[in-house]
Amino acid sequence: MTLLSQFIQYTISGITAGSIYAIIGICWSVVYLITKILNFTTGEFVMLGGMLTWGFHSAGLGIFPASLIAVATTICLAIVIERTAIRTVRYPSEMVYMMLTIALASIMKGVILLKWGSETRKIDPILGNEVIHIFGAAITPQVFCVLSFLVIVTAGLTWFLNYTLFGKALRASAINPTGAKLVGIDINKFRPFCFGLAGGLGAVTGIITTPITFTGYEIGLLTGLKGLVAAIVGGWGIIGTAIAALALGLLEGFCAGFISAGLKDVFALLVMTIFLILSTFRIPSGFKRRTS
Amino acid sequence: MNQSRKAYVLISLFALAIGVLPFVISSHYIIGVMCFIAIYGSLSLGMSVLLGHAGLFSLAHPSWFGLGAYITGILSIRGIPHPAAIIIAAVCVAILAYIMGAPLLRLRGYYLACATFSLLLIIVIIIGQLGSLTGGHDGLMGIPPFSVGSFVLRGDFHFYFLSWGLCLGILWFLNNLMDSRVGRAIKSFNDSEVASKSMGVNVPGYKLKMFVITAVMASLAGSILCFWIRFIMPDMFGFPLLVELITMIVIGGGKTLYGPLLGSFVVMWMQEIIHMYLGKILPVMTAEVDALFFGVLIVVILICMPGGLASWLEQLMRAGRRVRERLARG
Repeated sequence: MTLLSQFIQYTISGITAGSIYAIIGICWSVVYLITKILNFTTGEFVMLGGMLTWGFHSAGLGIFPASLIAVATTICLAIVIERTAIRTVRYPSEMVYMMLTIALASIMKGVILLKWGSETRKIDPILGNEVIHIFGAAITPQVFCVLSFLVIVTAGLTWFLNYTLFGKALRASAINPTGAKLVGIDINKFRPFCFGLAGGLGAVTGIITTPITFTGYEIGLLTGLKGLVAAIVGGWGIIGTAIAALALGLLEGFCAGFISAGLKDVFALLVMTIFLILSTFRIPSGFKRRTS
Repeated sequence: MNQSRKAYVLISLFALAIGVLPFVISSHYIIGVMCFIAIYGSLSLGMSVLLGHAGLFSLAHPSWFGLGAYITGILSIRGIPHPAAIIIAAVCVAILAYIMGAPLLRLRGYYLACATFSLLLIIVIIIGQLGSLTGGHDGLMGIPPFSVGSFVLRGDFHFYFLSWGLCLGILWFLNNLMDSRVGRAIKSFNDSEVASKSMGVNVPGYKLKMFVITAVMASLAGSILCFWIRFIMPDMFGFPLLVELITMIVIGGGKTLYGPLLGSFVVMWMQEIIHMYLGKILPVMTAEVDALFFGVLIVVILICMPGGLASWLEQLMRAGRRVRERLARG
C-alpha cells in the first residue's frame, strides 16, 4: 500500500466512524437538552438495534421486517424506561439519574448476553458486498448508507427544530423550561418523545453499522461514550456535534492507522477529558456555550 | 451518651464480633466470603465518602483499586519485599491521584462524572495493552504469597484478619475524620459550595485531599486483594466493578458510614447465592451477568427506597423508640 492509499483508507474509515459517533452524539444531546439527564443507555440502544435485528433475522424474518421490529422495540423500550424508571424517581438529582441509567445499561447488556451469548454477530449489508477501489483504498458500499443517514438525520432534525411548531416548542423548552411552561407548552410530553427519538435513531444506527463494524453485547459502552465525547465537544448542538464527531472519527482513524490500533479508544476518551478540563478555564467558554 | 462516643462503642462492638467470628464458625467458605466483604467494603467506604459526603461524583475509584493491585503484584514478582511493595503502590497511587485530581476536580456534576468515567476506561485499556509488564488481557500470574521476613501469610484465616483490619481501620479513620473540623468542612461544601467558600473553607484543597486519601485506601485494598487471590486481570477493575460498587452504596445508603459496609455484605452474599443457584441454569456466568442483577437492584432501590438500608434501619429504630416511649407513658 502506498502512503496515499493508506491516507485515503484511514480518512474513509475515520469519516465512517465519525458519522456513527455524530448520530449517537445527537441522541445524547436530544435527551440532555430537554430532560437534563445524561442517558447512559444511549450506547445500549445502538447495541440493541443491531442485536435485535440479528436475532429476528436468524429467527426466520426477512432483513427489512426484522429491522423494523427491532427499531420499534427499541423505541418502545426507551419510552417505557422514561415512564417507569426515570419519572418515578422520588429525589431526582444528577447523581441518581446517572446511577439509574448506568444500572439500566448494565441490565440491557446482561439480558442480551444471557439471550444471545458473547459472540460478535453480523448481518448482510443492504447495498451488497462488492468493494469499490479508489487509489488502492477499499470502500464497502455500506459506508454510503451510513453517510446518507447522517445527512438525512442532520438535515431532518435541523428542519424539524427550526420550521415546525412542535420542534420550535421543543427548542424553547430546552432553552428555558419555565418560560416555555408560561407560554403554555406542556414540557412533560416532550420527555418520552426525546427518549423515543434517541432510541429510534440509536437503533437505526446500530442496524446500518452492523455490516461494517459487526455487533456484540458489549459494543454499547465505548460506542456510546464516543458519541458523548462528540456531543460535549460540539456543545450539545446538532451541527456542532456532527462536526466534532467527524473530527473525532478522523483523529481516531489516523491514530489507529499510524500509532496504535489498540490505543485508539484511549485517544477518543483523552480528547473528552482534556476538553472538559480546558473548558473549566475561561478561554474556550464562548466556543462551548453556543447551542444551535 | 453523646453521638461520637456512641459511634466508638458501636465500632468496637462490631470489631469484637468480627474478631470472634472465625473462632465460632470454622467454614472456610464463609471466612473467604467475609474477606471479600472486607476488601470491597473498604473500597465502597472510600467511594461513598466521596459521593455521599463530599459530593464529588468520581467514578474512577475502581481504577485506583486496580492500579494498587497491579503495582503491588508487579513489584512483588520482581522480588521487592512485600510490605515495601504495598507502600510503594500506595505512594504511586497517591501521586497519580494528586496529578490527575488537581485538574479533574475543577469539574463538577455530570462533567466530573464523564471525565472520571473515561479515566476509568483509559486505565483499563492501557493495563490491557501493556502486555509485557502486566500480562495484558490474560492477567498477571505468579504473584507470590504474602510474606514478612520468614512469616508467610497463607489461607483464609490470616487474610481474614488482614482485610478486616484494613476495613475497620478505614471505618475508624473515616468516622473520626467526619466528626472533625475537616469532616464538617467537607459536608458543608457538599451542601453549598458558595456558602462554605465564604466562610473561609479551602474547597479545592479539601476536595483534592479527600480524593487522594480515598485513592490510597482503594490502593491498599487492591494490594490485599492481589496477595489473596494471587491472580489479577484488567477486566476485574472495569465497568462491572463500578456497577457493583454503586450497588453497594445505593443498597446501604451513601449518607452514613455503616451503609456501604452493610451494602457490601448484602451484595457479596447475593453474588454467592446467584452463583450457587443460578450458575446451573444460566448459560454464561461472568461479571456482566452479576451486573445485570445488580442493575435491577439499583433501579428498584432508587425508586422504592432512595435512602437505602441505612435509612430503613433508622426508621425502624425511630419506630422502636416511639413504641418504648408510649409504653413508658402507659
